[in-house]
Amino acid sequence: MDLDFTAEQAEFRDEVRTWLAEHAPAETRPHLDAAAMREYDLAWQRTQWEGGWAGIAWPERYGGRGLTLVQQLIWYEEYARAGLPSVDACFVGLNHAGPTLITTATDEQKEFHLPRILRGEDVWCQGFSEPGAGSDLASLSTRAELDGDSYVVSGQKIWTSFAMIADYQELLVRTSHGESKHHGITWLICDMRSPGIEVRPIETIEGGAEFCEVFYDNVRVPVSNVVGKPEEGWRVAMSTLSFERGTAYTASQVRLAELVENLVGLARERTGADGRPAIADEELARRLATARSEVAALRAMTYAGICRNLNTSQPGPEGSMLKLYYAEIAKRVARLAMDILGADGLRATSRWDRPFGWSGNYLYSFSASIGGGTSEIQRNIIGDRVLGLPR
Amino acid sequence: MDLLPSSDQLELVAAASEFCAEQLPVSAIRDRRDEPTAIARKLWSAGAELGLLGVSAPEQAGGSGLPFDDEVLLFRELGRHLVPGPLVASVLGARLATLTGHPDLARAITSGDTQTALAQRRSGEAGDRFAVTGEFDLFDATDAEYLLIVEPAGAGLVTKESLTGVTRVECIDPGTRLGSASAGSAPVLCWVSADEEPIRLRGLVLVSALQVGIAEAVRDLAVEHARNRVQFGRPIGVNQAVKHACVDMAVAAEAAWQQTLFAAISLHSGRADAEFQVLAAKSVAGRAAIGNSESNIQIHGGMGFTYEHDAHLYLKRAHVLDQLFGAPRDHLGTLLALEAAQ
Repeated sequence: MDLDFTAEQAEFRDEVRTWLAEHAPAETRPHLDAAAMREYDLAWQRTQWEGGWAGIAWPERYGGRGLTLVQQLIWYEEYARAGLPSVDACFVGLNHAGPTLITTATDEQKEFHLPRILRGEDVWCQGFSEPGAGSDLASLSTRAELDGDSYVVSGQKIWTSFAMIADYQELLVRTSHGESKHHGITWLICDMRSPGIEVRPIETIEGGAEFCEVFYDNVRVPVSNVVGKPEEGWRVAMSTLSFERGTAYTASQVRLAELVENLVGLARERTGADGRPAIADEELARRLATARSEVAALRAMTYAGICRNLNTSQPGPEGSMLKLYYAEIAKRVARLAMDILGADGLRATSRWDRPFGWSGNYLYSFSASIGGGTSEIQRNIIGDRVLGLPR
Repeated sequence: MDLLPSSDQLELVAAASEFCAEQLPVSAIRDRRDEPTAIARKLWSAGAELGLLGVSAPEQAGGSGLPFDDEVLLFRELGRHLVPGPLVASVLGARLATLTGHPDLARAITSGDTQTALAQRRSGEAGDRFAVTGEFDLFDATDAEYLLIVEPAGAGLVTKESLTGVTRVECIDPGTRLGSASAGSAPVLCWVSADEEPIRLRGLVLVSALQVGIAEAVRDLAVEHARNRVQFGRPIGVNQAVKHACVDMAVAAEAAWQQTLFAAISLHSGRADAEFQVLAAKSVAGRAAIGNSESNIQIHGGMGFTYEHDAHLYLKRAHVLDQLFGAPRDHLGTLLALEAAQ
């Protein structure tokens, strides 16, 4: 076994580092104005595309570089080291819809959508959760009825990040009531500009407004927008979620290690009323050291996961372990920052602020164990499918 | 980058696992609780003959000359089986003997003829390449001729004869023979300075691997019990309180294992952040071993509280291992003082 990068990979890293230093956006990401946010994220994605860095591990046929997850990892590592913001509005397209389309969609769908995602032309959002179908996703009831060559969709989705600025949505709808609730679900590509769609932003505890509910009133979606087979959308969605829980979080995992190091720096600088730096406090010091050990282990798990995934196109349930571990550490680290900051943690910040908006990051961190399947659901998946415990 | 065990490595582990299952059942620890050693000399030699003590030792030292990650994979397996005896100290003792040009001694250790046990400082000033003085805790030193001393400046061996007042101390773990002894300027053999070879870090990785084995073994015991134990007409594992506790054990064990492997490879390949990676491994592995062993007792309920059950043996060993080569709180202090990981 080894941790060595090949000469080619090392060269790739140098190229990434040089390019990022020259092209990284200097401005802070606008987080209150939706249109500005869209423009910022897509412009940055376009810059990456032009530099040849979009879709590093995507097939060349669809505009990707056709490299492996190792190069993708190297990109994320350098990206995090440069202190750059996560891809947010482009996240679903790049890590969710894109990989799902690559494995499941028709050639026509792939050829149309994949290059557009990479070129920063479209924002995608996810239409999975509903008010009555959160953790129990399969009980979703937004229905779609076949009418000629279209499905007619009516119902409601919720927790849809960036719906107000999205072009397309990966939309799960109920097309029939089969023997079990897992049957009769269909995965559709929904054009967000279709008549009958209404988007209402929901303010989050952090104060941002990228979170939305989406209402569908007889929205027509062409049958040609079905991904995979009709009625078998559950299976397609589960593969989507495996991507989210597997490799899609690599960037966040790498960023978390960077965050911990920034926190160590903060604890060295920040002095309390007694004039001592926060790091001199034994309890804080121990929690910082523990955080260092945990993000190291998170990285080791990420590397091992990549080695496993190099031999398979479809991530397995082990991705849930990574997501669960990540969520716990992310929340602990965010809280630790608040304990180090003391009263300064009361000043409102956004997680987008540079160098760091610790209070915004703390409030946002609660999403880590809720979004993409709660930690409780991850534990059920691991218990049932990895450990083989009875249901 | 390759972090998946090869088929050769898996074969090595499978052979060791078979030997342990047949010759060294965990229940034997209870049977030997009143014996002077936790493992019969005959079985120690049989294990050595299988090559358990010489994985990373060169051939002239009676070893197999394999990389460190092979040894770490093996030690994880020995941890799973809760194999007693001075395993880590013997492997490190053979390494010191090899590095200082004493292949005969190295061979004697890897063949199981001579045992080396850990003597860990309790008090007194740190020793050097010439002599050590002070009070020591001895771990499984009953049959040992040599004692491994690890000081900040380096590591070496002393003969057990050169120590005085060797006394047995009752240990919480029936699988560990604890002792105490004094050294009054005991002469040091086979000294290797910490700059030349980080013996302490190597020891910490092997201890972490044993702890990972424990964390995994008790995870498996807990899962097995949760599947089979029926209450209220269904297996207790259907309850999320139990199921999720098992999952947390699995995640802790997985994180500890991947980090231990990462640390082993970092040390082996001379990465600049090797010490960081090793201390991180020790920290997550120690918490996984103790935490998982505690959860396992809880999941087993009343049975887990009995001496007759194996659950307590894992917990007790996890605590013993956690104290070897330095206290966890000191490791955390060092970890925080180091430069960031690479």
